[in-house]
Order: sequence, then C-alpha cells, then structure tokens
Amino acid sequence: MSVVQLAFYFMALVTLGSALTVAISKNLVRSIFMFFITLFGLAGLYVLALADFVAVTQIVIYVGGILVLILFAFMLSGKEALEAAQKQSSRFVSLKNLPSLLLALFFLVVMINVIFKADVANLQWLKEANGTQNVIGVNESMINNIGVNLMTRYLLPFEAISVLLMLALVGAAHLSRKEDMRG
Amino acid sequence: MNFYVTYFLTAAGLFGFVGAFTLFGVWGERKISAFIQNRLGPTETGKFGSLQTLADIVKLLQKELIIPAAADKVLFLMAPGIIFIAVYLGFAALPWAPGLVPSQINIGLYYIFAIISIETLGILMAGWGSNNKYSILGAMRSAAQIISYEIPAGFAVISAVMIAQTLNLQTIAMQQGILSSETSKFLGMWDVSKIGGILSWNVFQAPHLLVAFVIYFIASLAESNRAPFDIPEAESELVAGFHTEFTGPQFALVFLAEYSMMFLVSMVGVILFLGAWNTPLPNIGSVTLATWTTGTVWGIVWILAKTMALVAVQMWIRWTLPRLRVDQLMNLCWKVLTPLAFACMLLSGVWRLWVM
Repeated sequence: MSVVQLAFYFMALVTLGSALTVAISKNLVRSIFMFFITLFGLAGLYVLALADFVAVTQIVIYVGGILVLILFAFMLSGKEALEAAQKQSSRFVSLKNLPSLLLALFFLVVMINVIFKADVANLQWLKEANGTQNVIGVNESMINNIGVNLMTRYLLPFEAISVLLMLALVGAAHLSRKEDMRG
Repeated sequence: MNFYVTYFLTAAGLFGFVGAFTLFGVWGERKISAFIQNRLGPTETGKFGSLQTLADIVKLLQKELIIPAAADKVLFLMAPGIIFIAVYLGFAALPWAPGLVPSQINIGLYYIFAIISIETLGILMAGWGSNNKYSILGAMRSAAQIISYEIPAGFAVISAVMIAQTLNLQTIAMQQGILSSETSKFLGMWDVSKIGGILSWNVFQAPHLLVAFVIYFIASLAESNRAPFDIPEAESELVAGFHTEFTGPQFALVFLAEYSMMFLVSMVGVILFLGAWNTPLPNIGSVTLATWTTGTVWGIVWILAKTMALVAVQMWIRWTLPRLRVDQLMNLCWKVLTPLAFACMLLSGVWRLWVM
C-alpha cells in the first residue's frame, strides 16, 4: 500500500470512528468536541483528493464558525434542558426510534445506489475535460478559477444565498430585540 | 524517504524556534514593562536577568499537574495541547526568506486563518473542562472576541490580497521587492521595480493599505487576547480567565501558545503589509543597497527584525493602554473597524482597476 492509501484509510477510520462516537456518546459536550475530529478528518480526506480549498473552507466554516456556535448554544442553555436531553433512553431497538431508523435505512439505500451507479472511474464529463485539456494542475492556483466562476456563471445562486443570509440576520436581530423596545 | 526526514527536522526546528522565542519574549516583555513602569525587572539570574525565564520554566515543569476533582478530565487535559497545536500549525506556511518556506501552499494565507480559528475551540474546551465559573466566563468572552475581530482582520487582509492577487504567502512576499517579476509602483505612479527597498512594500504600493495594516494590527491584538483586549483573562475580575485551573506543564503550554500567537500574527502582518523578507534599503544609482542586502540569510534577518519590532509594539501597547470594557470592545469592532475595513476593501478594488 502506498502512503496515500494508508493516509486515506487512516483518515476514513478517524472520520467514521469519531462520527460514531458523536452519535453514541451520552455526554453532549464530548459529542460536540468529537464532531470537531470528524470535521478535521473530513478536511484531511479533501486534502487527499487535492481539493485543498474545500478542505480549508470546511475548517473555516464548520470548525471556526458553526461548531463554536453550537458550543455557545450549549453553554448558554439551561441545566434542565440539557439533563432532559441526556436522560433519553438509549435503547437501540424501540418504537420511538422507528422513524429515524427507517429514514437512516432509506438514506443508506440511496447512498449505496449512488455509489454503484456513479461509475466514478469513467465519467463522461471527466473524459471530455481530459480530452480538451480543460483541467487545473495540482500546483496551479484554483482560487482565481473559483472566483471567476462565482462572479459569472454562478452569480444568481451566489446572490440568492447572500439574500438568504441577509434574511437570517434580520430575523435574528428582530428575535433578539427586547419586547418593550418594539414599536 | 529523505524528504520525510526533512519534514520532521523542519517541524522540530520550528518548535525549537517557538520555544526559544517564548523564553526570549517573556524576558523581553518583563524588561519592557519594567522600563515603562520605571523599574528594573529581572536582574539576578544571568546577565541582565536573561536566564530568568529559563529558571521559571524549569520551576514550572517540576510543578504537580493538578486536575480539579469536578473537571471533565479528558477535555481538561487535551485543551492546552489543542490551543498550542492550532497556533503551531500556522507556522508551516510562513515564508522566511527567498526560497525558504516550510510548506509552499497555494492558499497559505487562508490556511493560516483557518488553523488559527481552532484556537477558539481549544479555549472553549479549556473553559468548559475546568468546571469553574471564572474559566467559562473567560472562555466565552474570548470566543466572542476572537469571532468578532476575525471580521475586520479578514477584510483588512482581503484588501491586501486584492492588491497581490494571490493567497500564496511566498508570492506575496516576492512582489514587494527587487525579486518581483511584476512591476511594482510607489503610490501607484513611480515604477520602483528596480529600486526596491521600503518603497515597494505593500503599504507604500497602495497607501490605503496603511489603514488596513492598522486595522489588522488592532484586530490581531484582540485575536491573541492581549491588552488592551485582554478581558478574557482580566485579572481584576476573572482571576486568570480560561487558564485559571492550569498548573505546571499545562500552564506552560498555554503561555507558549500566547507568545507563538503574538509572533504568528505579527509575522503575517509583516508578510502582507511590510515587505516580508525584503530589505528596507533601496537601490540608489550605483549604490545597490537592495541587491546587496537580499538573500537567504538577509531574508531571515529582515523578517525576524521586522516581526520582533511589531511584537515589541504589542508589548508597548499592553503596558501603556488600559483594558477596554466589553461594550467598548464590541463598539470598536463593529462600528469603527469593520466599516473602515470595508472601505479599504472597496478602495483596493478601485486601486486595482484604475491605478495599477
């Protein structure tokens, strides 16, 4: 096995193992910190796939932003709510878990279907791009490409997302205002 | 397999440097604070007290590692390590001299910003793991502060990146001196590609970057939890903030992280705005000072000198200005620095389109 393969299996093991621990662990804080390891392992997998920009973005957005926000929400919430969450019965097979179990199973079927139908080794668009030399090399900068594409081809989705985020901001500001200050 | 050995040697060398810098930095800070407060500072151990921190660290490492009974042991033990490793990983992408960079990454600057944000997580971990209200208050304050100040810092950095058109730190460094393959213009009008020196630094290539640099510097003080932004460890109200419960080697790691962070943010500032490893001396006619003082050794000398100067300014500010209150801190960030940083970014775009 080459070093890259070894690294891949190691990262995959770390990611899956920590993800399992996140789901199983009864200690909520530990789960959140374990999630950090999952995200980091995922970033490592992206690096192995030569998608360094995606890897770094993953860390900036998920670790630096979302995970810290989750922690904030956790630390600011009351003790009663947390205890109720931790006291949930952890029996794997029970009627309460049936919907989630079904959902997970269906999702698994979809995923397996995708993997078997994709035929990653000879994708049509990959072959075309290779044929016309329309590819970015390992050592070339890809941020210029991403920037140009965001501002031309994908401008509408980009702007739609920014409007969505703006709405979320306005909503958050409205919700956090005190009652008597309204009007 | 030879290059693996090189990787490990580089990593060990950087670690050694960080340790040495912390020892030197703590001593320097005590001397500077003593000078500002009209005292003598450490004088007994070694010449001018220079071995004082070495003695301190020996004492610190011998101390017992105390874990509070009610603490979350795993988180408590891991937190200082994560705080330090987050900062230490950032050093991988910093260029030291022409052709001398531990890891040549296309998106080096972005990588550093990402990896630094992990420090927040380590601090929250320390605060929660300690199971102490002072710790958790300090950790929450620290996280809030770091997240807020990442915005003006980010936009100040983006305005420099828009001028440089790359995230590769070595390329950004290269553009600010005589080794540049592009033309660099002093204030956008005088071609100084062959003259180099201080005239081709980014802050003089585009003057609004001077404002961006000041914004970045202020924000970087907040990101490394240094006074006047040290409310996370405000001694008068929070004992020692998130590291209240740490003793011995763990406390040493937290300290190491703080000083490495100071060095890291200063070095990033130097690379982006103050000419990186380029010499400040310009070529004047046949007296080619810039050509004489450019090279691997000179590069290391210049970047170390510039970064140390910035670190000294950080210490100077710490011992001169009083601590900001939390509302003043947020006012400064959101109402002053962020709009200014946005203006800088806009100016950068205009500058790139019409002047360069």
